[in-house]
Amino acid sequence: MTSGVITHIQRFSVHDGPGIRTTVFLKGCQMHCSWCHNPETLRRQPEIQVFPERCIGCRACAAACQHAAHEFNGTAHLYHRQRCVVCGECIETCYAQSMVRVGETRTAESVVAEVLADRPFYQPAGGATISGGEPLLQAEFTCAILEGCRREGIHTAIETNLAWPWTVVEPLVPLVDLLLVDIKIMDDAAHRAWTGVSNERILDNLRRWDALNKDIVIRTPVVVGVNERREQIGAIADFLATLRQVRQYDLLPYHPLGQGKYAALGRGDPPPEFHTPTAAELDTLAAVAARPNYVVKVAGAALRNWRNCHSDPERLDINPTQDTLS
Amino acid sequence: MARAVQTELDYASRLEHLRKRKEAQTAEKLRRLGYMNEDDYGMVLPPEDFQWHPKPNHPNGSFYGLPGWADNFCDLMDCHPVYVDPMDALAGRYMVLLNRVRPCRWPPEFAYPELEPDQERYGIISGIGNDAHFAPDYRIGLELGWGGLLAKVRRYRAQHGPDKAEFYEAEERVIRAVQGWIRRTVAAIEEAAQRETNPTLQANLREMAEVNRWLIEGPPRTLREACQWIAWFNMASRTYNRDGAGGQLDELLRPYYERDRHAGRIDDEDAIFLLACLLLNDPHYYQLGGPAADGHDQTSRLSFLILAAAHRLKSTCNLTIRVHDGLDPRLLRKGVECLLEDRKAWPRFSGDKALVEGFMRNGYSGELARQRIAVGCNWMALPGLEYTMNDTVKINAAKVFMVAFDEMLLEDPTPSVDSLWRRFEDHLRRAVLCTARGIDVQLDHQHLNEPELVLNLLTHGPIERGLNVTNGGVDLYNMCIDGAGLADVADSLAALQQRVEQQQRITWQELAGHLRNNYEGPEGQRVRLMMRTGPRYGEGDSLGDRWALRVSQLLTRLVTEQPTPGGRRMIPGWFSWADTLRLGKQVGAMPDGRRAGEPISHGANPRPGFRDDGAATALVKAIAAIQPGYGNTAPVQLELDPCIAQSEDAVETITSLIKGHFDLGGTLFNINIVDADQVLAAHKDPSLYPDLVVRVTGFTAYFANLSPEFRQLVVDRLIRAS
Repeated sequence: MTSGVITHIQRFSVHDGPGIRTTVFLKGCQMHCSWCHNPETLRRQPEIQVFPERCIGCRACAAACQHAAHEFNGTAHLYHRQRCVVCGECIETCYAQSMVRVGETRTAESVVAEVLADRPFYQPAGGATISGGEPLLQAEFTCAILEGCRREGIHTAIETNLAWPWTVVEPLVPLVDLLLVDIKIMDDAAHRAWTGVSNERILDNLRRWDALNKDIVIRTPVVVGVNERREQIGAIADFLATLRQVRQYDLLPYHPLGQGKYAALGRGDPPPEFHTPTAAELDTLAAVAARPNYVVKVAGAALRNWRNCHSDPERLDINPTQDTLS
Repeated sequence: MARAVQTELDYASRLEHLRKRKEAQTAEKLRRLGYMNEDDYGMVLPPEDFQWHPKPNHPNGSFYGLPGWADNFCDLMDCHPVYVDPMDALAGRYMVLLNRVRPCRWPPEFAYPELEPDQERYGIISGIGNDAHFAPDYRIGLELGWGGLLAKVRRYRAQHGPDKAEFYEAEERVIRAVQGWIRRTVAAIEEAAQRETNPTLQANLREMAEVNRWLIEGPPRTLREACQWIAWFNMASRTYNRDGAGGQLDELLRPYYERDRHAGRIDDEDAIFLLACLLLNDPHYYQLGGPAADGHDQTSRLSFLILAAAHRLKSTCNLTIRVHDGLDPRLLRKGVECLLEDRKAWPRFSGDKALVEGFMRNGYSGELARQRIAVGCNWMALPGLEYTMNDTVKINAAKVFMVAFDEMLLEDPTPSVDSLWRRFEDHLRRAVLCTARGIDVQLDHQHLNEPELVLNLLTHGPIERGLNVTNGGVDLYNMCIDGAGLADVADSLAALQQRVEQQQRITWQELAGHLRNNYEGPEGQRVRLMMRTGPRYGEGDSLGDRWALRVSQLLTRLVTEQPTPGGRRMIPGWFSWADTLRLGKQVGAMPDGRRAGEPISHGANPRPGFRDDGAATALVKAIAAIQPGYGNTAPVQLELDPCIAQSEDAVETITSLIKGHFDLGGTLFNINIVDADQVLAAHKDPSLYPDLVVRVTGFTAYFANLSPEFRQLVVDRLIRAS
């Protein structure tokens, strides 16, 4: 029975592929993007996040812990992470959810069973997406989940960084309907500096995948100070124009929601704060990114829609002569 | 109808004027009447100098029965202010709710003291003295007109004896009073037409006068006349007793639309404007699409025009698309597009497959079942055929549960979940019996309290038989009983089973102590958090889900296993309407972490926060699973952030959600597309967003008109969902 470590399974995912999907987030990633807003997915092993603002000072965690990892100074809770073996005893007693376990070991079968719970909603375009972290860090587990979904006739998608030898990627080919991949920066030196890895394998694997006639969605997290210049996005678009299977290119504005997670994980100083591009900047980049062979979206929305959560109702053109029975 | 001149008075600008006027009228209602925790209505305030007082016919200062209602309604109609807006296609607005001016709603002669102890004990809203809440058949009125209805009343009067004379006299008077109201309005329209200087508006007023002059006696012949006729009936019925049930609007109006188009009298733009004016006149519950009696889909061009009208109007609206296997997918798609673009919480969607199959379980044919439509907040009715007391009868399951819990702790030396369940079943059975007896009280006496003199006219049977709809005027009595507080009960049972029995983290007596103290103090806070993080209804295959199913199955069995003592069938549902606050005030702290006096859980929904991801699929799946399945509803109330509308897939996503829910047995689907930040801002200062509309429970309302307490309920639901 193949098993692996996941962070969570999210039902009703509408941004990880088409339709209504269930997204399985695997734990662990071999890249270290400086702006990562999901630091709890970087390490493969289970961890504990601590949110001291939720603590109610009941001291149940200290009573439950066999490793002296919890101490109270008055009402202030001190968590000695270095003593913690992540047994989870404290979490069982923390009803305020001041401590949250991130990462649980699950079998592929149990994950697939959970994916199937929303099968009634997957038609016509939805399904399952394996994400992370980086799914291929647990390649066998990922393939087992995908196989299970395929056996049940569920559409499958994977969000992977593709920064692997092709021999690691190739087993995915018969199991995946849709590939979602980030291209963060075309300049390899810059890519290494910001993410810790080269982009050569990523781009090469993309070319190989493209030759297989399977749909691809490309994403770029747009981070001010990293990759927001027109020539940077233009270079990515130029590369995408050489591929035949790219259906969609998403520009994803960076958001700083992950900052608090670094502290919760005891990761010392969080990374520097990056900035979100402005609406005007994203407009410009979307225009630069446009090519005839794919659709550009910003934050998951088509170009004309994205800025306006409160869209102009006059753009809803209910024209009975076009839309109705004769 | 003259095609609108392309000036500043085109249809778009006229609708803009009408919408702004409605918003101003709504603001004025708020100022003079205070908060309204209920539907937005088409009611406008009367002129400041309008004074009308009812004439009592009872020593307690109230009025009852045929003469009391006929006298007062007719008196009111005779002096009811007229309303004419040259921009509107339709004349009239109503200004008084007659059923709210009585100091005492139920005749003391028919008091029911034997029921009151259990009614209070179990938090039963008995429905006794409640009115309307069943569906008229507009076709009767559209075919006959007011003159034809009068002739019908006289014809049947002649066939019956003097024992029915008072009934028929009252019905005649009501019709003549409505005709008088229309007649006075015609005079006002003609006067306005003479004064009007704008040629477009003058032409409109002249046609309005002509339409209404005809409708005093004649049945409608054109779309404009049909819309005006429906509006008059709606206004009269609202005035009488707030009746807001609509009908299958696309089918009702289709013959008039098609004739007008064929004759070249109107085009689609004209039709849309007329329909928008009808929707503006009052947000009745209208249906689109769905199966006809023979099963074919009723979607027509007019279905789309009605959606277009509502889209252009951009006001409160209660349109329902009836989803079934044969529905034209374009109508569903267009409805979802409107929902996402306009964000006024319409349309909502009914699951006619499950509703039809459910109603058939009562022994009815498919042909009959397919005619049943959702014409209220949560409720279903056969137009003109059925009396139901929909949405007026509720059992506070949370209160029943706590009665059982407290009794067990007092009497049982070895409390257990099994023991609690047995007691809950016993008390719920008593509550259902008490409710059933209350329904019999209503049906035995309501005709002597408040005969349905207006709705009788569009019901098959009362005029023919000389009997009020409530006491033999129709053949079908399917009495609706809704449970309230499902999630609180299910989550409490799950938390008890997990924390007390399985994990033994707290004893029964310790927990009872914390409940009595309302979870006060540090230890109480901790215990509350412990109980609140138990397995929840809505999580997905959790203890809470299994208990919710069990509770719903229990209510269903108890309600359906036998009729009322008077022999009336009862049909269960889950719905709390706006009573979540009121019912919550009756209930102390509960084992699921709910504090004393807090609102009970809303309808069939899991409590907010049921899952960390709040997944909509989990929510709708959970609610589909607990459907009672006898033809009444347990609706979904779903809040979605507007960002979902950004995606190109948004329409498909929402459509998949709706269809998935209905495929699993769901019955009614309400969706709010609301920005949580906007709602928070509006909650602080409602004047910032006077046109913010939300579907509160089954009804839509202007957010600004809700009381702060009620707004908080909506905020809590929306914020947790976001």
